[in-house]
Amino acid sequence: MIKITNLEKFYRTEEVETIALNKLSMHVDTGEFVAIMGPSGCGKSTLLNILGMLDDPDEGSYVFNGIEVAHFNERKRADLRKHNIGFVFQSFNLIDELTVFENVELPLIYTGVSASERVKRVEEVLDKMQIMHRRNHYPQQLSGGQQQRVAIARAVVNKPKLILADEPTGNLDSSNGNDVMELLTDLNEQGTTIIMVTHSEHDARYSHRIIRLLDGQTVMENIMV
Amino acid sequence: MFKNYLKITWRNLVKNKSFTAINIAGLAIGMASAALILFWVQNEVSYDRFHEKKYRLYTMYNQSKFDGKLWSWNTTPKPMMKALKQDYPQVDEASRNTAGSFLFSVGDKRLNLQGNFVDPDFLTMFSFPLLKGDSHTALNDMKNIVLTEKTAKALFGNEEAYGKTIKIDSVDYFTVTGIMKDLPNNTRFKFGYLMPWKYWEKTNGGEEKNWGNNSVQTYITLKPGITEAFFNARVKDITRSHSDIKDIDVFVHPASKWRLYSKFEEGKQVGGKIETVKLFSIIAGFILLIACINFMNLSTARSEKRAKEVGIRKVVGAGKSSLIAQFMGESLLIALFAGIIALIIIILSLPAFNNLTQKQLFVPYSSVSFWLIVLGFIVFTGLVAGSYPALYLSSFAPVKVLKGTFKAANAAISPRKVLVVTQFTFAIVLIICTIIVKEQLDYAQNRDTGYARNNLVYTTMSGDMSKNYRLIRNELLSSGAATAVTKTSAPITEGWSDTWGFSWDGKQETSKIDFNIFNTDGSFTKTMGLKIIDGRDIDITKYPSDSSAIMLNEAAVKVMGFKHPVGQVVRNGNSKYIVVGVVKDFILQSPYEPVKQMIIQGPSSWFNVIHFKLNDKLSTAQSLKLAESVFKKYNSEYPFEYHFVDEEYGLKFQDEQRMGTLASLFAGLTIFISCLGLFGLATYMAQNRIKEIGVRKVLGASVIGVASMLSKDFLKLVGVAFAISVPLAWYFMDQWLTKYSYHVEISVWVFIVAAIITTVISILTVSSQAVKAALTNPVKSLRSE
Repeated sequence: MIKITNLEKFYRTEEVETIALNKLSMHVDTGEFVAIMGPSGCGKSTLLNILGMLDDPDEGSYVFNGIEVAHFNERKRADLRKHNIGFVFQSFNLIDELTVFENVELPLIYTGVSASERVKRVEEVLDKMQIMHRRNHYPQQLSGGQQQRVAIARAVVNKPKLILADEPTGNLDSSNGNDVMELLTDLNEQGTTIIMVTHSEHDARYSHRIIRLLDGQTVMENIMV
Repeated sequence: MFKNYLKITWRNLVKNKSFTAINIAGLAIGMASAALILFWVQNEVSYDRFHEKKYRLYTMYNQSKFDGKLWSWNTTPKPMMKALKQDYPQVDEASRNTAGSFLFSVGDKRLNLQGNFVDPDFLTMFSFPLLKGDSHTALNDMKNIVLTEKTAKALFGNEEAYGKTIKIDSVDYFTVTGIMKDLPNNTRFKFGYLMPWKYWEKTNGGEEKNWGNNSVQTYITLKPGITEAFFNARVKDITRSHSDIKDIDVFVHPASKWRLYSKFEEGKQVGGKIETVKLFSIIAGFILLIACINFMNLSTARSEKRAKEVGIRKVVGAGKSSLIAQFMGESLLIALFAGIIALIIIILSLPAFNNLTQKQLFVPYSSVSFWLIVLGFIVFTGLVAGSYPALYLSSFAPVKVLKGTFKAANAAISPRKVLVVTQFTFAIVLIICTIIVKEQLDYAQNRDTGYARNNLVYTTMSGDMSKNYRLIRNELLSSGAATAVTKTSAPITEGWSDTWGFSWDGKQETSKIDFNIFNTDGSFTKTMGLKIIDGRDIDITKYPSDSSAIMLNEAAVKVMGFKHPVGQVVRNGNSKYIVVGVVKDFILQSPYEPVKQMIIQGPSSWFNVIHFKLNDKLSTAQSLKLAESVFKKYNSEYPFEYHFVDEEYGLKFQDEQRMGTLASLFAGLTIFISCLGLFGLATYMAQNRIKEIGVRKVLGASVIGVASMLSKDFLKLVGVAFAISVPLAWYFMDQWLTKYSYHVEISVWVFIVAAIITTVISILTVSSQAVKAALTNPVKSLRSE
């Protein structure tokens, strides 16, 4: 599903050039659950952003589902992204002014799903995430675990092929964190590819494979058994 | 999607109540002010544009050289109208026009009313429709009269006026042959009735053939297809070919230019009221722009709050264009709310605005095009205000926003700073203008008029006053109502007559010098409180030969070049006058101009007005009551109507007073709207820098130190705005002051005062938020990390 080759990304300020990704190559197959680990500043998040087409690489190739996307413009990337990729963030990133239902509905609006179909699909996914009873609440009225469920519901409502999770349990206590990991595992078992950035060895154990980064390069791959 | 936008917009508005209030209030005030000014502008540009024959309608102008300068003016000789109709086949219709005032009696009702004398064509030339009567024939007979609805109502109440008889001045009976729809609020004409020109001739000694007396306006319509240039080439010589006056050219001035383009210099059209219209349009645009800038500033200042939403929307699939549409929609919605409030403000403030501008503007509720314009205005405002925030907010990169590394740019010259500077530049320019206009007004008001205005009263002569003048004068004096009485040709505050026909020993044959003419029967200097510099006042009772006496003012002595003016002989045609005295210059016309040369003629001339000085031993009310009984006794048919010279003189400052009030109003509004924006900005700036403030306090910064640090940034912007405003304001006001020969010099302290005002207002606006931020406990602000 994903194949990247010699990917490079630099950050420049006036005086310093930082190399975030240094000729990084890797691949992820459909249906895999991959964890990316490494110390702060190793390039994990940069990699995730590029994989999620939120950012573009300076050099190298990124083939997504057989399409070279490294040099897509913002509009093409946005189009590809909204149909194929769901995001889960550490800080949930729900819109405060929208209710649970409306937050989850948002991706469907942008992909042009009809109103009646939207209600059906949002209710379905809220049910699955066991958050249906909170559908008319605003994010501030929910616990962290509940907010992350809503965020996951939003990520999967469009039935994406790939879910990118950036430290999804980072702001949660261990019990809520485990719930979230169980949810992601379930989704993976139903066929969704998952790539997750994490600091937690515990969470990483839910994955099939751990890719360890250091200074923008792959240093090690562990296959989980 | 639209519903989703509307929902989030609404929730955002409700959630940030203070932001919403500031934004809507600023926009509403800006829109209302701009709209009121545009109402005014619309009225000005529509003046006399409603006449069906407007493209064929002209007024006649004279042009001649005086003292080496070419002058143009629109009073014309009375016989010109007939000559135009008889000798110029291009002319379709023609009418003279001059004002008159009569006592109207209907039953017991007596009213002194102002109207115009016109020729019968007037009613078909202009589109002043008759509700009753035939505009082709209504003024054909000498004793026909056309009343406006208002006049008819004033005279006859709810009774039918058409066909009724009115007694005019207790001498003649007129038949109402037409009821005219009241004049609209955008015409140069102001009359309560129209009388046939024939009646003017009857009461003024028959048809006047004199081409040298320029005293009426002459209007014409040209036949279809005749151009202005074509006719001008032919009518140029009309005065030369009909009289022995050789130095006057005549031309026509089209109806479309009467209101806005009526200023001539050296024979060329050089604008006129259009300059004010343009200036006000620009001000309207700027006030609206300033209100829009507020919106832009507040919206972008809040961008860090909105950034997260933008990021999330982008991540879940929103394109840039859909985000632009969303933010544009928000600003349109806010503009709609603001527009509704603005309309309410307009409705509430229109009477006061009318009072200020001396207009009768109204909201045309039933006009579809009005509502379309309102809608267009709202959409326009929403688009202007929303454009920059929409582009700015929609361009955020989700990566930065969602990782929390996003910080709004704090660059040296950010667009937001430019916007604040723009706002304040405009506000400061207006403040400086206000101060200078007021200064100029004070300066002119404090100018020595040269005569004593207090307790000086005049009344226009009517009915039997002329016949009984001697009795009236004696009784005013003997009853103690007045201490001095004089009969004059015009009120002391107005110049009604001028002539260039005088000659004297030493005058250059070729020079043409125009004198103001004033007539008096005696006691002139005593009544007016004038100072005699040389010789004596005219006094026919003491000096029987004074029927040919004249007095000069200082300016006249100067232009005539007399070393010893008293005893000099001055001629006008066959008449010979002897100078008996010289009076100190006094202001007859504009208090902004140098006093013009003037000749005061003795008792053998014509009179219109009685001036009298009230006895200051009595109260004003007492002496007026005594005076009234005298006038009632000798002029019983007429109501006693009087004017205080002091008040009439005050009217000379009306335009400048209005200008001053408008300037201060605009300045006040602009500074208010700008400060609303500044307040909002300071609030958000304080919120955004809360962590910095915490760190500074932990490291030992004082509250005052932090507060002044926060305020300083804003004051710097105000400082930059001030630096830009000073040359701008100086330039504008220098231009404005050159209109007045008698004017103040722009002094440095004006700018200092403006600087102090602006600084104080901005500090008050910003400091409350700065102090609040500085007082926050650092433990709280740093914990939020």
